Amino acid sequence: MTATVVGQLRTDHSGVRPVGADGPGWRVVAEQECRDLWVGGRGPLLLFAFSVLLSGVTYLGATNQVLNFLEQREAVNLTLQIAVAVGVLVTLVVSADAVSGERERGTLESLLLTPVSRRGIVMGKLVAALSLWFAAFLVSVPYVWVLGRGVSIVAQALLLGLLVGTLLAVALAALGLLISAVSNSNKVSVSVSLFLLLALFAPTQLPTGLPQGWFGDVLGRLNPVGAAMHYNTAVLVNGHGWTQDLSYLVSPLLTAVLAGGILVAATPRIVRLNGGVSER
Amino acid sequence: MRPLSVIAGLFLALMTPFGMAAAAAAASAEPATAPSSPVLVAPGLVEVTFDQSRVDTILGDRFTLRSRIGNTGAAPTDRLIAHLNVASLTSDVYVDPEDWSSSRSDDVATLDPGRSTSVSWDIQAVNAGSFDVYVVLLPNGASSAGTGPLVVSPPVHVSVAGRQTLTAGGALPVVIVIPVLIGLAAATAWYRRRAA
Repeated sequence: MTATVVGQLRTDHSGVRPVGADGPGWRVVAEQECRDLWVGGRGPLLLFAFSVLLSGVTYLGATNQVLNFLEQREAVNLTLQIAVAVGVLVTLVVSADAVSGERERGTLESLLLTPVSRRGIVMGKLVAALSLWFAAFLVSVPYVWVLGRGVSIVAQALLLGLLVGTLLAVALAALGLLISAVSNSNKVSVSVSLFLLLALFAPTQLPTGLPQGWFGDVLGRLNPVGAAMHYNTAVLVNGHGWTQDLSYLVSPLLTAVLAGGILVAATPRIVRLNGGVSER
Repeated sequence: MRPLSVIAGLFLALMTPFGMAAAAAAASAEPATAPSSPVLVAPGLVEVTFDQSRVDTILGDRFTLRSRIGNTGAAPTDRLIAHLNVASLTSDVYVDPEDWSSSRSDDVATLDPGRSTSVSWDIQAVNAGSFDVYVVLLPNGASSAGTGPLVVSPPVHVSVAGRQTLTAGGALPVVIVIPVLIGLAAATAWYRRRAA
């Protein structure tokens, strides 16, 4: 994608409007990254795998007698949680490849030579990674609808999934870009990002409803993924109001703001030809 | 994991007869304990009632029952435990009360004469059929724990209608069409890329 971006940016640069500023620069990078992701075939392939997974979960949910035994809200919540989890996972994978992948393929140098600031490059890549989350969310809409029709929770579930999922996607995409920028190799970046995601998701699989101490409660609230999933369940299954458990969204919000802030502040220093945290 | 569970199962199977025999011996050795004299919780002195007497609902739905515990006697009550129970009124339906409510016991502090308190119970109807839900009050003070008689609420009759919430037939078109459409789009993108 780098060659095309360089070409585009040079054309724009010779025109009326300079491209050095972050505004148009990040947009050009985002457009080209999205084209690379979606026309290049990686996005549709990931989305296809995502839809096959959701199809399996939805079919099992619709035929499983144990799930039928439970309330329809729980089936909707299960599908929505998987949609958010896997949608965020693919976003993280794409963002973890963003800088270290370019570096490894030897295309980062020419990208850095374009008149786009490093912040613009990273913002463009962030937007492209988030496009995958929004596409994954769109794919999950019919599955949530088919499980939730008949009870008036489809619109609520979709709005909740969009808001909470976008918050998580921004937070983890920013973290993925940070990891990608400081990693020595693409393999390290993707491995660390996947490990981070698994570590954040593991506590959500612990049995719920059991009494836990204050420390467990604090840990649950600190984990942005666990807290976001808890919020979804509280609103969708337990019928709580949107504001009743709002404190659970503090952790995902803080992660998004902190990771995004650090990414914006540190990008000029960490997006370099050589990876790693120390200067060589 | 499997060998461990097999060993644990064998161990339990071997030890259970010993445990039962020991319990039976202990029961026969101990004198029968008569109910002790303090009647801090007794029908007439403490009462527990529900805010409704009947609930008609559908399988899977959740509802909340509120019970009011009042001290109608002349002396303060001891500490109590309010315990919720669910009983099936038909022999063909097995009830596991834990499935109906994840929190079935609640501590009730000492109540002065004439005072009352309320306890809410979040319940999910997980079986279809006819059921009675009731609360029993158990003494839980230092001297009263383990004594009786117990105070029981009037039952709330719960009638649960069955339903099939999800059908494979309804989900099948979405489950098949969406991956096929996305797969076709991905294949087209791949083919065009190769052709270019």
